[in-house]
Amino acid sequence: MTLSNVLLSILWLALITYTVLGGADFGAGMLELFAVGPSGARQDALIVDSMDPVWEANHVWLIFLLVVFFTAFPPAFADINVILFIPLMLAVIGIVLRGAAFAFKVHGIIERSQVARILSRIFSVASAMTPFFLAVAAAAIASGHIQIQSKNLQTNTGSDWLTPFALTIGAMALTLCVTIAAIYLTLEATSRGDTELAEAFRKRGLIAGALTAALGLLGLLLAPSEASFLWNGMLDHAIPLVIATVLIGLAAAAALWFKRYGWTRILIVAVAASLLLTWGVSQFPYLIPPDVQVQNAASPQNTQALLLIGIIIALLIVVPSLWFMFYVFKVKKVAGADVVAHHPTAEPAAE
Amino acid sequence: MSNLIAARVQMGNSLAFHIAFVVLAMGMPLMLCIAEGLALWHKDPVWMAIARRWSKAVAMIFIIGAVSGTVISFELGLLWPSYTQFAGSIIGPLFAFEGIFFFTEAIFLGIYLYGWDRLSPRAHWICSFPIWISGLFAAFIIVTVNSWMNTPTGFVVQNGQITGINSLQAIFNPAQPYEVVHMILASFVGIGFGVATVYAIAILRGKRDAYHRKAMLLGMVVGLVSIPLQMIAGDAIARSLETQQPVKLASMEAVYTTSNDVPLHLMGFPNVPQQSWYTQGLVIPDGLSLLVGFSPDTTVQGLNSVPANDRPGDVLIPIIHLAFDLMVLFGSFIMLVAFVFWIIFFVRRSVIPEYKWLLWSIILCGPMAFIAVECGWVVTEEGRQPWVIYNYLRTSAAVTTAPYLNFTFGVFTIIYILMTIMLIILLVRQARTPMPKMEWAEVTRVSPVEKPAV
Repeated sequence: MTLSNVLLSILWLALITYTVLGGADFGAGMLELFAVGPSGARQDALIVDSMDPVWEANHVWLIFLLVVFFTAFPPAFADINVILFIPLMLAVIGIVLRGAAFAFKVHGIIERSQVARILSRIFSVASAMTPFFLAVAAAAIASGHIQIQSKNLQTNTGSDWLTPFALTIGAMALTLCVTIAAIYLTLEATSRGDTELAEAFRKRGLIAGALTAALGLLGLLLAPSEASFLWNGMLDHAIPLVIATVLIGLAAAAALWFKRYGWTRILIVAVAASLLLTWGVSQFPYLIPPDVQVQNAASPQNTQALLLIGIIIALLIVVPSLWFMFYVFKVKKVAGADVVAHHPTAEPAAE
Repeated sequence: MSNLIAARVQMGNSLAFHIAFVVLAMGMPLMLCIAEGLALWHKDPVWMAIARRWSKAVAMIFIIGAVSGTVISFELGLLWPSYTQFAGSIIGPLFAFEGIFFFTEAIFLGIYLYGWDRLSPRAHWICSFPIWISGLFAAFIIVTVNSWMNTPTGFVVQNGQITGINSLQAIFNPAQPYEVVHMILASFVGIGFGVATVYAIAILRGKRDAYHRKAMLLGMVVGLVSIPLQMIAGDAIARSLETQQPVKLASMEAVYTTSNDVPLHLMGFPNVPQQSWYTQGLVIPDGLSLLVGFSPDTTVQGLNSVPANDRPGDVLIPIIHLAFDLMVLFGSFIMLVAFVFWIIFFVRRSVIPEYKWLLWSIILCGPMAFIAVECGWVVTEEGRQPWVIYNYLRTSAAVTTAPYLNFTFGVFTIIYILMTIMLIILLVRQARTPMPKMEWAEVTRVSPVEKPAV
């Protein structure tokens, strides 16, 4: 296995990690749009509480993806940035608006409920923008429409990324994020003893999951004509992964239906992983099909070796730190936690 | 606006916005670490209240800092694709290293800000160390990247192909030690005096209690330690330019022809097309020659030593000169204020001087320190033009061919302006929340914001 393939694999693992961690935060943001009705305020509180301590660390996976991509495969990175300038710029705008709206909404002292509502809407819409446009860009690459032969690359104004296939994948990314978020939140609500809230999120998870499956199916139907490169690659060497994705997806749906939330969480992570692996394996060894292969976009050996060393050091530092963070916030019990769990709305009165 | 100008202004806006948050996000964790350490050591509720209240502000500031940093990491590729292609293969791993430290910073900041009731007080305090230590490393690395753009080494270009990459040589490039030290100290100067400014305002408005005095004192201590070191570092970096980036030095002082006995113009406005000065400002004869080589005979390379299209444009030179002078002027003023404050403090045997004129001077120091940081970056970046990678890649060759740059520039400008206004309003509002009773049990109570999901 060459160095560039090792780096590509790391890139894909980081993409999966970002999807199941950062994607959940985007999904939670979108779910806030649906936090209405009698339990709306509690849903909102749960979303904020479970995101707040961890979402910035989750977000760093995107930065990690970006820097590893541009160091390992500089020419491909530059080409993608020129051609897919528009969807990527829109994704960035989403990132700024989402982060800022969240920071102000949660940490600012907002007195007027109208302002809070506006911030909340910006937060939700921006949470949809980023995963949608990132997925659209990814689908444009995967479909094999992007031609890189000439030296004078032009920004594509939509013929490559406003296709039915890319839009379907963009929509699927949204529903997948919502599904992941709903499942995590169901678990959070359950561990707080709030069964009503857990049921609300479970329902959202089931609906979003069904939509994800439907959009996935639509994507598959569109692929032979719209994304023939991906389709052929899939038929050629990714059939087992497609089958695995479908089976794990069904298992996840069943686990959620029968309220085995612990299992559901593991299974939904596996669904996301095998879905992204299917994409990666299908288009391998191409980085930007049909013109750029992994080998001819790789940076020099020295640079790749240094990058790999850096990543190994990173994992040695970051993985224990991350474990500690999730242990502190998601596992460790706090004295007096039961009281909080039973009176979630009474809490602000203590201030 | 041409593509190049639009892209440069958008990038400049993003960087100018981000660097202010870098100073805050790098410096505040150190301040938190010191304040909480003092609180635990003396069982002092006032220091604990300071740490608690600061941590709420930091939560908001850090998010905005991280978000604006993300924008920059995207803009590198989106606005300057050829730059990333060139730099990625040589210096790219440094961005990945920076990622490691940003990761660690974000993780421990999360633990610190939301872990008040989940960790023992000591464990909680210990979690503040990785935040500022990784902040320092991240600054070290990202400034190293910038220094490499100023003095690129560690590679060979043969027939348009980059070969012979020596990453260590690229990392430890000639400008690296100077720039890294200068920026790290700048953030401590900024945070020290920034904090002092906030509490000097409060004291001036009659809030002469232990809370505001202690907070201002901590700011002044950090400021006092860092400002003299910063002046020494600044002097060294200016001197290093003569050999490493002579055109930048010539731009800073508008030196047109190579000669000795070069004077220093304090302020003054250069008339570049005429190769003269509109106003000379305060002229120190032989000043620049003395500064560079300790002797009036020292030769300083002039702008005319390189072709006109290899040096900053006529419009940029006055900007570079004024930015440089403002930085030095503000730095000197800040140092003076720090010395006066501490001399009076010790003469009066540890009584904080609260003269109106002195408080007003301190209030000026915070904004001045931040403006000085901005000015320093203007000198570094504009002084390197028309190159993005000095002598290798022109900024005009690095810019994207993408359309609509005027539009994205407009959108980002509006977002940044709104974000700044909102942040200031909310920070002021945070500062106005009533103080807790200064008792240990009271200040260590956990508020809902600090309490994450169970």
